[in-house]
Amino acid sequence: MSEKKLPPASDREMPDRDIGLSKAIGSGASGLSRRAFLKGAGGVAAGGVLAGEAAARLSAAGEGSKATPVVEGETKIEFTLNGTVQQVQVEPRTTLLGLLRSHLPEPLTGAKEVCDRGTCGACTVILDGEVIYACATLALTVAGREVLTVEGLAGEGKLTAVQRAMVAEDGSMCGFCTPGFVMSLSACLERNPGADENEVRRACTGNLCRCGTYDHIFRAAEVAGTELSLEPR
Amino acid sequence: MTSNKTADKPGWGARGDHKILHHDTPRASAPDKVSGAALYSHDRRVPGMLYGRLVCVPVACARIEVDLAPALALEGVLAGVVLRDEETRFMGQAVAAVAAETPELADDGARAVALEFEELPWAVTPEQALLPDAPKVRRRGNRGRVRKIGDAKATEDALAAADFIMTADYSVPVQHHVCLEPHGVLCDWRGGDTATIYASTQVAFGVPGSAADLLGLDEQSVRCIVHHMGGGFGSKFSLDTPGRAACLLSRECKRPVLLMNDRTQEFQTGGNRSGSIQRVRAAANRDGRLMALRIEIDKIGGVGGGAGGPKPFHYRPSASYFEEGSVHTHTDSSRAMRAPGHPQVAFVTESVMDELAYGVGADLLEFRKQNIHSEVWSRQLDRVADEIGWSSHPHRRTPGRGDGWTAEGIGFAISAWGGGGHGGGQATVRITRSGTVTCSIGVQDLGTGIRTLVAMIPAEEFGLQADAVEARIGDTNLPPGVGSGGSVTTGSIAPPVKVASWKARRAFAEHLAPLLDCPVERVMFAAGRVFDGDAPKRGLTWHEACGTLTNEGLQETGDWRGDLQGSGVHGAQAARVRVDLMTGRVQVLKMVCCQDSGLVLNPLTWRSQVKGAMIQGLGQALLEERVLDADLGIGLNAQLQDYKIPGCLEIPELVALIDEEDTREFPIGVGEPPVIPGPGAIAGAVHNACGARVRHLPMTPDKVLDALALLED
Repeated sequence: MSEKKLPPASDREMPDRDIGLSKAIGSGASGLSRRAFLKGAGGVAAGGVLAGEAAARLSAAGEGSKATPVVEGETKIEFTLNGTVQQVQVEPRTTLLGLLRSHLPEPLTGAKEVCDRGTCGACTVILDGEVIYACATLALTVAGREVLTVEGLAGEGKLTAVQRAMVAEDGSMCGFCTPGFVMSLSACLERNPGADENEVRRACTGNLCRCGTYDHIFRAAEVAGTELSLEPR
Repeated sequence: MTSNKTADKPGWGARGDHKILHHDTPRASAPDKVSGAALYSHDRRVPGMLYGRLVCVPVACARIEVDLAPALALEGVLAGVVLRDEETRFMGQAVAAVAAETPELADDGARAVALEFEELPWAVTPEQALLPDAPKVRRRGNRGRVRKIGDAKATEDALAAADFIMTADYSVPVQHHVCLEPHGVLCDWRGGDTATIYASTQVAFGVPGSAADLLGLDEQSVRCIVHHMGGGFGSKFSLDTPGRAACLLSRECKRPVLLMNDRTQEFQTGGNRSGSIQRVRAAANRDGRLMALRIEIDKIGGVGGGAGGPKPFHYRPSASYFEEGSVHTHTDSSRAMRAPGHPQVAFVTESVMDELAYGVGADLLEFRKQNIHSEVWSRQLDRVADEIGWSSHPHRRTPGRGDGWTAEGIGFAISAWGGGGHGGGQATVRITRSGTVTCSIGVQDLGTGIRTLVAMIPAEEFGLQADAVEARIGDTNLPPGVGSGGSVTTGSIAPPVKVASWKARRAFAEHLAPLLDCPVERVMFAAGRVFDGDAPKRGLTWHEACGTLTNEGLQETGDWRGDLQGSGVHGAQAARVRVDLMTGRVQVLKMVCCQDSGLVLNPLTWRSQVKGAMIQGLGQALLEERVLDADLGIGLNAQLQDYKIPGCLEIPELVALIDEEDTREFPIGVGEPPVIPGPGAIAGAVHNACGARVRHLPMTPDKVLDALALLED
């Protein structure tokens, strides 16, 4: 069994670094209130967010003032993607989703671009253990952090319990929303393999499916949760 | 066990004999979909590829001038094309497109295109379109020809003579398809003699011809690939504007161009289900007979015509009369959307059935059965009524009132569809010496599960597991498939796959009979073995058997046969809702569907599709509506955060029942019919719960409160 595990919960609680739009509703995992998020999102909260060149290129909009720091031009960042360190040049405006899908030497297109407005969850990835919308996260802000995408879940071609259950219970139709649901479910069941249907529904409120696979996804979560509960942790 | 004994022609065989078919079989594409390995058109990346972006007008109607120069002056923007250069006719219409090295640069380029426009008078709502001085959407005016169906005089007479008569106006707003993968293609042309179009389309074989025209190539030199596609629901039947733009841009710069709609473009120009305004007069007698139905229907299809449905909608009044016509507006044309026209007439007709039943004091279920004249629908209605708990429900002849806080109610609705296939598809089954089996047919899988059937059918024939057969689909280099619309795919694709499989098995049996030392009729294929049916121990494993083939292996091709499919399906649905009487919020607690569709080849994907349709019906009932600002002529909810589709918290308990009393031994398509009854059943359940009859979809809390307020007057 070489399933890749999500980082343990203790490594994931980094609320001061989380400026992605957290979807962990009611989980308390991010410790970030909506108000705190809005405050933080107004300007890049420099503490720990940017590393390396990105941090070095920070320039204050008004010299000597405490105005919002600004990064200009293409910037080199380093981050961990599915366990491998990546170095890339990104524009400040490029989202994590754009980076994954279009700016990597070998693009990862499992995370889908659907709404591009932090609504549908098709771009859901896991950033330092927290589910986030890659379309609503600037690529610069993942510098020094760990990103897990749907491509990184299965080790050595072996599907995880969540993925196997999604196959068996027919949790996908057209499949365009599927990677996002798989990520949300994976994080939810990692947090609590015994999650009941209500908890699963809440964990996936940020994911939309148009074909209408919800019912089968809830069943897949139950099947996967049961399997994960039986596994030694 | 599949034998050769009655093998003078291919057939599906008796239902109980199947080992793979008619058994839950996981979707063949699922492992790729859950791991991100499934590549959609949107995901294709090829060397030298550029990203395209459309430029759209921000107003309903305009005289325009487009200048690409500022965009082309930007570094990284490599091509631009003007798609329209005089007038635009609807909000969001595309007028130009650019291609650039990155998606961000393509956005920059699209923004840089100088678009000068003079706004022209427009009419975006039906009310505006029908004003005396309204600008003309079509040359002949804004009201299309009115079709008259039925007997006007007999209907008036029946209305006058009946015990109970009702008059009411209903409306159904414009709904969007909301395919998660937007419309668009990757046009991979690099200046040579051939091109490949990766298209998000419902008709792969329709793409090469149109793309070849634009690229100046021969149709046979253009290949279309649709290995996976992220939903169509009726909206993806042509190369379309993004596809056209990608080809033109590619021709301009001799590089591959990926161009997909952004989400707003998708809402504004990617298709919609036409709206409908219906003015109804209807009557029933106290003995429970439906006496008269008279409906005037305005279809709201934008610059298009809009879709009508069956008239009358399945229930049989003694007399009926319909006047149906289009009202044209300056909005994107409606397109086919899952059961075009049906949900609109179903919602109104089922609502009228409820109102009449209450008017004459009849049981909602019995009133329907009495006026449907169909044993099939009657048994299906009984089945869903049992499952939803109708017989113990306290409000069967009059609506409930609730307990002051909440109220629960039940509603019913029915549907019908064709679902038969047609010829044109062709399948090839190939068995190699090493034991691999492939079945190839170029059809696209929209998420319906046809890929899985293309593997299951040969697997059944050869006594193998479904995953032992590789289904190759979604490619115009393969034998032809058909377009996927009208629920025709299963009926069009399963037969040629069956014929090819059957021919391959017969040829393989003839090859093996001498080796097994038995007559060809006794050669059996089961459980991964090939053996003499009279001496089952004498046989070969599948791989041993294949090892006796020559290097060429074995290949057979099958064409469509009408007797391997059929047409004509029925369904009934029931919904149970809870209405919050304080807030007007409606929660659907449970939906039940009983649906026939002949031999269900894969019950697992069948249930997915039926439940998915029920969920889309729920969305149309409670959430979905294109909202326009009539004063500004613009759309207000052309984004997913504003246009609501059902999410995790709206999903009720869903029960999808195969009507097992339908004993037809051939498959029929089922994609469309189960989307039809939802709004009618849910509206009926709201009325039944608390007496609030909401006649205008979607049934948002404000409308429920308004309807409740009417009860207090």
